[in-house]
Amino acid sequence: MFGTLDTVLAPSHSSSVQNALSVQRALSPERVLVNDVSVSLGGGTVVHNAQLDVDAGQVLALLGPSGCGKTTLLRAIAGLQEHHGGSITIGDEIVSDARTFVAPERRRVGMVFQDGGLFPHLTVEQNVGFGLRNHDNPTQRINEMLELVSMSEFGKRLPGTLSGGQRQRIAVARALAPEPSVLLLDEPFSALDAGLRVQIRREVKRLIAALGITTIVVTHDQEEAFAMGEHIAVMSNGAIEQVGTPAELYTSPASPWVAEFVGDGARFVGHYDGAFVTTPFGKVPAHAAGSALPVDEEVVVIVRPEQLILHPGTAGAVVDVEYYGHDVRYDIVLTDGRRATVRSVRADFAAGDHVDVSFDGSSVPAWPTT
Amino acid sequence: MHVHVLVIGALFALPGLFVLLRTLQLGGELGETLRASMAPLGRTTLLATSVSITAAVLGTSLAWILVRSDVPGRSVWRVIVVLPLVLPTFVGAAAFLAALTNGGVLAEALALVGAEAPRFRGFWPTWFVLTLFTYPYVFLPVSARLLALSPTLEESARVLGRSALQTFRSVTLPQLSGAVGSGGLLVFLYTVSEFGAVQLLGYDTLTRVIFASRVSNRATSFTASLVLVVLATVVVVGERSRRRNRPSDDPIRTHPTEPVALGPWRFPALALVLTTATFGLFVPIASLTTWAIRGLTNNNVGFDGLAEAAINTASVGVATAFIAVLVVLPLATLLVRHRSRTGEIASIAVVGGFAVPGLVIALSLVFWTLNAPVVGALYQTLPLLIAAYVIHFGSQALGAAEDSVRAVPRDLRESSRLLEPSPVRRMTTVDLPLMRPSLVSGGGLVLLSTIKELPATLLLAPTGFRTLATEVWGSYEEGFYAEVGVSGLILVVLSAALTWILVLRRTDVIRDSGSNGP
Repeated sequence: MFGTLDTVLAPSHSSSVQNALSVQRALSPERVLVNDVSVSLGGGTVVHNAQLDVDAGQVLALLGPSGCGKTTLLRAIAGLQEHHGGSITIGDEIVSDARTFVAPERRRVGMVFQDGGLFPHLTVEQNVGFGLRNHDNPTQRINEMLELVSMSEFGKRLPGTLSGGQRQRIAVARALAPEPSVLLLDEPFSALDAGLRVQIRREVKRLIAALGITTIVVTHDQEEAFAMGEHIAVMSNGAIEQVGTPAELYTSPASPWVAEFVGDGARFVGHYDGAFVTTPFGKVPAHAAGSALPVDEEVVVIVRPEQLILHPGTAGAVVDVEYYGHDVRYDIVLTDGRRATVRSVRADFAAGDHVDVSFDGSSVPAWPTT
Repeated sequence: MHVHVLVIGALFALPGLFVLLRTLQLGGELGETLRASMAPLGRTTLLATSVSITAAVLGTSLAWILVRSDVPGRSVWRVIVVLPLVLPTFVGAAAFLAALTNGGVLAEALALVGAEAPRFRGFWPTWFVLTLFTYPYVFLPVSARLLALSPTLEESARVLGRSALQTFRSVTLPQLSGAVGSGGLLVFLYTVSEFGAVQLLGYDTLTRVIFASRVSNRATSFTASLVLVVLATVVVVGERSRRRNRPSDDPIRTHPTEPVALGPWRFPALALVLTTATFGLFVPIASLTTWAIRGLTNNNVGFDGLAEAAINTASVGVATAFIAVLVVLPLATLLVRHRSRTGEIASIAVVGGFAVPGLVIALSLVFWTLNAPVVGALYQTLPLLIAAYVIHFGSQALGAAEDSVRAVPRDLRESSRLLEPSPVRRMTTVDLPLMRPSLVSGGGLVLLSTIKELPATLLLAPTGFRTLATEVWGSYEEGFYAEVGVSGLILVVLSAALTWILVLRRTDVIRDSGSNGP
């Protein structure tokens, strides 16, 4: 009965999730606290005074452009990278500060690398069992983990014979096998091609949710961060710019940079009268996203493409149309030369059409100009 | 079908088949000569096994120390410890003997502390000298492997609960085993076919028996040759079958590996590096140099002879390189562009030419020309010498020739065809420029091996035709240490220049300075 129902609801993942629920009790997720951590590498500081608080069982995405220090911070949490200043705490234990340094093999963290890091000379089973030397029943645990990632029939294979997606599943199984209290994922899907990336990401997300393990996933892909993370920490140039839920980041980004990094948007400078900002689309309701806004002065706003509406008119022209099916993205050049992007569910316009642009009335994030 | 390729394969298989045939013709005598070959076979095997093991251990340790640890000056040391490679083993052996004789650098150094120079003959000196000049064959591939190894493997092991030492044993070492194995195999084959050093140091291996009995007792000479060929073949085949099951797949290297802090262990590590460099490079060079200077100041070195020898060495080497590349190119084309069985068989013959010792190739060519009717005129002519070199070193050009063919992929050939109707112009404007770098480096490797070659040169060179190698050899046998020094140094400089341009400059081992930056 249940089998039938499960099959209807989630045809390919039913057994995985059931299994995940059965091993849930074995894991004891821990809180991860990163306090004022800085890391120097090759003479430069790549992480500046990072502050992170990940509750037990929470999934945090560490998002930033490449080279921003996010992977370095993750490696510091794993104990693969020493840091100076500050402390890292997992559960009740300080794993590294000025006096203590717990070796990576004693931190009880699981880690999945971008390239999987599978041992090419060991079979899939031996890879998954690698961290189980002190386990009572490694064979049973290996089978359990392989079933969890739907890879049971691949146990005897060598990693070199697996596809990229299969390898990442095994890497996840291997990281989770020793029942770590924290799971760290370093760009785990970026080596996969687009379609597979989304599929594996969903599988892993479901697994993490079912196990309830504390997870930190590093990514440079905003869509991936939003899809995976309950909370997102945005990093830039070694510093954490903002921590929040995906919705908070999108509607109230701490800076114009964050706003533009987490989504499309056009930046305008306009006069703020205490409630509205003057824009090329008329007066727009604005809210302070970072610091307080100076009344009767110029402020910066970001207008999201979905907040704009197109009508036939004369204020500008459509210069490019990208048709996505579920919506359409228009690039607009206004008569004064400024540009804007509009997303609409309707495909009413073509390149070259003359249009007016109006605002949908929702509030835009704003920041002081300095 | 591919007749031209079969002819090439037959040329390379010729010496081995000839030795086999002649030995089988011995009939009843074979049992006796075979028994006589057993003791030298035992010595050859013992020497080759011990040298491979020590070279593997030394090469691997040095590679780990200089790639993965924080030993001071490692990027400079990484170049220095490869340099013993440029000394041909017989020059190295002669340099040590010259260093230990009266007036040599080691003898004088020992005299300072009141010690007498040891008698440098037999197994241990041979083992010592061969290890010193062959370990780079292990060091180079192992360092390259270590540099290419994704750090995530070791990091994964650490995160999964293994200590640094356990990680090295269970993850790093298995990753290196292929490189150690192939380097060790090369050392084994070199030692098995080594002639100059064992002859100088007086250790009776198969090659020494073959050389000593080549005139007086041909039966023994042929049987020993066959035994040697069989030994080399067994080892190569064994290694090939062992390697077949190896996964060739590697994770990508995403970030540089942090060097391991050695702490107080860096002193013994540095001592190992220093000792190796001292005996593998500084002592032999100092030995050759002191004798050379002594000879130059006393004006008793015949420069005319040396200049002639240098020119001969260079011209025969360049001719060999050209011909070797031309000979293997059709085979390379077949191997890369068509999957052909004929090509595979021919390539086994070409690679086999490298496993057959130069002495055996030379010997079989000598007897073939002396006993066959028409080809007798070839005996002791340059074409025959060059043929021996090509058979022995052709395999070194084969890999590069395959690369050169791969450098002109089908879509390029097709686009050039659509744009340029003249096949000659296509060849000169598209194919050749793309193929040239690989062809030059393949030819260069052959050139390098040729100038260092001794036994085939001794047996096949026309009377009075002197090369740097025969000059070093002859001068040592006559006790002219000054000339050993000068001709040895010229040979080393030539070989160093070629090694640098063709081998070292291209390897990551030298290029990657092992920085730990992001």
